[in-house]
Amino acid sequence: MTPESQSRLEHFKSKPLDGQALKKLVEAGLAWLKANQATVNALNVFPVPDGDTGTNMVLTMQAAYSEIDELGQRHIGQMAQAISQGALMGARGNSGVILSQIWRGFARSLHDLQVMDGPALVKAFADARDTAYKGVVRPVEGTILTVIKDVATAAQVALAETQDPYDILELIVPAADVSVQHTPELLPVLKQAGVVDSGGKGLFYLLEGMLRYVHGEPLDSPLTTIQPLTAMNLENSIDAIEPGQDYEVVIDFKPAQALDMQRFYSDLEVMGTSIQLGEGDGIYRMHIHVPTENRYHPIEYVMSIGTVTKVAMENLLAQMDEIGRVAESEQVEPTPIEPNQIAVVAVSPGKGISRVFASLGVAALVEGGQTMNPSTQEILNAFENLPTDRVIILPNNKNIILAAQAAKEVTVKKVHIVPSRTIPQGLAAMMQLNLDGDLTQVVDKMNRALDEVTTGEITIATRTVEIDGVSVEKDQVIALMNGKLVISTSTIEAAVMAFLEKASAADFELITLFSGQDLLASEANRITDLIRATYPSLEIELQDGGQPHYQLIISVE
Amino acid sequence: MSEEKTVLGNIHVSPNVVATIAYHALLQSYGVVGLAPKNLAEGLAQTITKEPSRGVSVHFTGEDIDIDIHIIIEYGTRISSVANSVAHAVRFQVEKALGTPVHNINVHVQGLHVSNDE
Repeated sequence: MTPESQSRLEHFKSKPLDGQALKKLVEAGLAWLKANQATVNALNVFPVPDGDTGTNMVLTMQAAYSEIDELGQRHIGQMAQAISQGALMGARGNSGVILSQIWRGFARSLHDLQVMDGPALVKAFADARDTAYKGVVRPVEGTILTVIKDVATAAQVALAETQDPYDILELIVPAADVSVQHTPELLPVLKQAGVVDSGGKGLFYLLEGMLRYVHGEPLDSPLTTIQPLTAMNLENSIDAIEPGQDYEVVIDFKPAQALDMQRFYSDLEVMGTSIQLGEGDGIYRMHIHVPTENRYHPIEYVMSIGTVTKVAMENLLAQMDEIGRVAESEQVEPTPIEPNQIAVVAVSPGKGISRVFASLGVAALVEGGQTMNPSTQEILNAFENLPTDRVIILPNNKNIILAAQAAKEVTVKKVHIVPSRTIPQGLAAMMQLNLDGDLTQVVDKMNRALDEVTTGEITIATRTVEIDGVSVEKDQVIALMNGKLVISTSTIEAAVMAFLEKASAADFELITLFSGQDLLASEANRITDLIRATYPSLEIELQDGGQPHYQLIISVE
Repeated sequence: MSEEKTVLGNIHVSPNVVATIAYHALLQSYGVVGLAPKNLAEGLAQTITKEPSRGVSVHFTGEDIDIDIHIIIEYGTRISSVANSVAHAVRFQVEKALGTPVHNINVHVQGLHVSNDE
């Protein structure tokens, strides 16, 4: 530990570990987890990108943090309670739920305490572990459960050496790391995939973030970890712009000799911020934000350690203005509803699709976001304040049907859920909407309309796996028909044409394509032209859907 | 019966098999702390016979496999997330084992279980 870290640690130890101290630790844990979110996501063992562990755990912790963001509470029991409450309400995905259970046990343990000492911390970890394990009939070892168990054990062992909670934290973080590294030995599917458990890794980052904060180490860029190229989160780095960072520089390069990661990062940290390093396809990709006067420094530096193959430089401030303007002009306004009409709430993954729904008479839109996983609260908010109590929800994704049902349970309004599993189904249902009609009749018509459309979803596989008798290799293009994986091939064009054949498109009348944010307009146009040439008797429409993950969503009716 | 034709003949998989796979997936699903019978009569019957597929009912309609799951969830967890994960996990395990897709999975949360020390 450096002298600065040492004196910083002494400073922490001299003050009681109260609610405010816990709040800062949680904030730090969240920041570090967020910085390493992509690494955790890349450890996922399913082929389709939505619903990733890293994202889910970040969202869960963000919900927890928003409960305490404004809280000036010094009582640590009350603070922990608030954190636990927030985590519960915002828990996303399996890992999020387990994390919320861990907090629940932790908070219950601290319930009556004003401040936390070593023994209290150790007991809290034990209670966290017990609560977590209680939530499942047959706990699976080699997961986040094992890690919290090992952390609780390490904390107990640490108590023999020290009574100080910060010293205990110092000892349990390496223990958590060891536990995570050991998970492939306990869970065969991890060993087969060649990864450690994603949930366990997420928990490790949370704890490591707290320790880094205590040491005064930076929390915004992942240190000594190279992400796979496909996981680099370059678009979102715009949100992390700090004043003085004017240019974004991305450099593809081949180093002359093995890269000394520590040295590389520390040399770059002098020049700018938001440093990311990705590896893939035989090259490294470095990303950094620099002030104008430093804008050529990263290029010169990288040239000095290897061969630069590509450089991209972007003026961030100009980009920010552009994004601001575009965001304003693209606010999608749904139809204002008259009192007592039927209000339809549709969940949409992209702006283009939202616009189509709005044009068909939807009363409220819920943005599904990156993981298409809106919370019950978000769905509820969409219709609670509308001047009608006749509501229909179109989830448009099978993951969301349950959150919609939960919203229905909570409200007093007459809510019907038309269980659309895909966007095309949702749109087919919308065609049956009669704003002033009888609710049950409209719902009935919508339900029947769902099966009249065939949905295709085209995306890139993030894992190699076999599902539904189809062999999928990572990075191949896959096509899903009505939610089932049917094709795996090498180009988007091939996937689309094969899907259309499988769906017997020739027997139908209209094909609508929604292009996602990851598909170039030129390619979308080219594919549309090819479809027109192959099926001259059908009507073909191309819309800019703007959805994430799925390059194309296709509706055949 | 879930049917598959092979070179040598047919492969029939009974609903019970699917139910057992789903059952084992459920035991490992986080947040699920118990399985509930659909109704009281079935509950009594199952207590006596100790069927390995309690809480799960499987129907084959032609080629479609529909699964109904009746679970008890741990109080204090986010129900929608748990139910969601359950549906996913069961679908994944069944489809992986069978090689054929599942048509519908319905998750029925029959109750919440409150831990002893609350």
